[in-house]
Amino acid sequence: MKPDRAVAGFDSATAMLRGLSYYLSGREFPFTGVVPKKAEPATIRFMRGANRLPRAAKEQTYAIAGWSEAIRRGEVKDVRSDDLASWVAGHYPDRQHEVAFIGSANGALTHLAAAVEAPWLPQTLLVPVRRHGVHPDDASQDLDKLRSTGLELAARNPEWNVHHMHDPAQDRLMVEYMAYFRVKWRRLPAPYRFFLRRRLAPGGTLVISDCGLRWPTTRVSDQYVFQHGALGGATKEEFHRGSERVREFLQSHGFPHEAWRGPEPDGDSPEAEWGFEPAILNDLRELAAEEGWNLVRLRYAEPESLSPAVADLYRDWYERRGLPTGRLLVESFMLTEPFWTLKTGSVPFWMVFNTENSLRALESYLDGAPDFEEIRLALFSHGVESVGLAPVQEWKRVLDRATKLGVFLGTDPDRFPRDFAVLAEAHRELTRIRRTYPLPESLPWATAADFLKARDDVDLIG
Amino acid sequence: MIRPRGHGQRVPMTLTRYIDEVGGDPVVSWGLPGPGPPVVCVHGAGVSSRQTLPVVRALAGRHEAWAVDLPGFGRSRSRKSSLTLLELAGACASWMQQRDLKNACLLGTSMGCQIVAEMYQSRPELVSSVLLVGPTMDPRMRSARGIAMRGLLTSPSEPLRLLPMNAADYMDAGPRRTLRAYAESMHDPFEDKLPHIDVPALVVRGSGDHICSRPWAEEVTRLLPSGRLRTVEGQGHTVSVGAPQTLADLVSDFLEEEGTP
Repeated sequence: MKPDRAVAGFDSATAMLRGLSYYLSGREFPFTGVVPKKAEPATIRFMRGANRLPRAAKEQTYAIAGWSEAIRRGEVKDVRSDDLASWVAGHYPDRQHEVAFIGSANGALTHLAAAVEAPWLPQTLLVPVRRHGVHPDDASQDLDKLRSTGLELAARNPEWNVHHMHDPAQDRLMVEYMAYFRVKWRRLPAPYRFFLRRRLAPGGTLVISDCGLRWPTTRVSDQYVFQHGALGGATKEEFHRGSERVREFLQSHGFPHEAWRGPEPDGDSPEAEWGFEPAILNDLRELAAEEGWNLVRLRYAEPESLSPAVADLYRDWYERRGLPTGRLLVESFMLTEPFWTLKTGSVPFWMVFNTENSLRALESYLDGAPDFEEIRLALFSHGVESVGLAPVQEWKRVLDRATKLGVFLGTDPDRFPRDFAVLAEAHRELTRIRRTYPLPESLPWATAADFLKARDDVDLIG
Repeated sequence: MIRPRGHGQRVPMTLTRYIDEVGGDPVVSWGLPGPGPPVVCVHGAGVSSRQTLPVVRALAGRHEAWAVDLPGFGRSRSRKSSLTLLELAGACASWMQQRDLKNACLLGTSMGCQIVAEMYQSRPELVSSVLLVGPTMDPRMRSARGIAMRGLLTSPSEPLRLLPMNAADYMDAGPRRTLRAYAESMHDPFEDKLPHIDVPALVVRGSGDHICSRPWAEEVTRLLPSGRLRTVEGQGHTVSVGAPQTLADLVSDFLEEEGTP
């Protein structure tokens, strides 16, 4: 099976891998890399058309688009760790780098890697598997039905930990027709080893992206855990115990229970999508020692913890290049575009999603930063008024903080969170900004490292 | 982003018509008393105060407001078959002087924004702030074909009542003057003047306006030393006709923020 068939295209890790590798190849990144730039206008027209569908039809379209990306259960036996690792490594242009990243997916990290012109190898990928007959609000049913599939995926790929994940809030439309298997490398796969030996210069630096986020899980086997819920608007406790707002959400979706159903957690694990699995550290230490590389660990508590540091690093970098620093680009989830961020001289602030928590993270950053003349906000739409979603009015208040212009980027506020055209529109609107700058020379890693070491919100160890 | 709030309640007002002689031509204007600073509305190419009077009326009871027909447009006459943008700006400034309008908030619509920029350049003492509603002319559409295409794309967002207004305005001005006004608009280096407008400025754009596209409106705002951008959702190029009440609210908020309520 082709790896790009097994790995979800509409996922954070894939989008960030594509965005970064496109930038390192000197290319922009239209519509999260799914369609070529020439097809962008037609795609936008099509998606605007989809935006006008009635709500139920729109939700089904979204769910079916997700389902079409998933593999059949019978195909799981053909998914191989090494094939996927080769596929990842094959994204990058054939050249040597002074620094390389490996580990947790993170939008801010994508911008950090773009600044220092370094590749990033994701530790985690999403392998979605088609299934039906599972109620979105019943995670136990998902585990019962797909347990054998998860066990098979793990058994055939001993280098992986398999995180079977069911998020009935934000992924509600997707989990109707497919199961999420996030696979994390606990051993360094041979293609990654080969890539690093070939592309990381002698004496270079290997940086581990280490997101400390953990989540309650139910262990199925040594290699296989089940995660109910995910980082977003609802808290860990709410997924397992419910709350008033969860009850209201469930009732609005016709599920007459106080809380979601799911297996009782028996421990916790690195969060399926963002968390770093430390089991891979031994292999990385060994390889770095063999090759004489500096091994550095970039630790941050939660995905968004890295965003202020990278935003400030960009401000500092622009200032030293004599560029204006007053243009802020706020991205969410998989809407990241390193090429046009740099081309437009934008300071990137990445949010993990579109929830109240992300809004607070952004507001907190703005409270401590000098005023921005321009703020652009690309809001990812996931199709559901999920628990903890920040309403459009609150996002507008943030835009009003711009001293000159605060605008949604590719986002139709009337259709959020069911604005599917944002996936293509956000890129197009970025390309239309009138004042742009030449792409920069890479930022020396030593400068970035010194900057990050001086921060309280992230740890750079090693 | 601002949403039209509807037309609100009727406010008693006395809209007075004036005729002043400017450079030997009769210039017609409409004024509404109210607290200062006066808001002076300058219309776009080929059209007239028919398109700015709705916002003057919407400002009733809040601000002194004026709408003027530039010489040769609407009900104002001109002995010359057409005037340059420079001459139109000069005539507007002379009319303001005759009406004793100083330290005004100049509100331009479409090409009226270019006249406002020119007036600031030549007579800054007349201007305390500027509002540019759907400013023209985007350097990337300076051709007859470009204007026609963008106009077509904008038309679904324009109010139907604009059609008879445009027809009457173009009849009043005549084809020669109208075409000359467009030509003047296309050749005016508007963007070079913006960095010199040192007074508070607000740029207003309808979300469906392709004549004043979003990237262009952003660039205009960026070039203004004290510019801010506001978008009116669901409106086209003529926000003053499509959402006069919303525009009047924006004017009031803007003047209040600038300390001149």
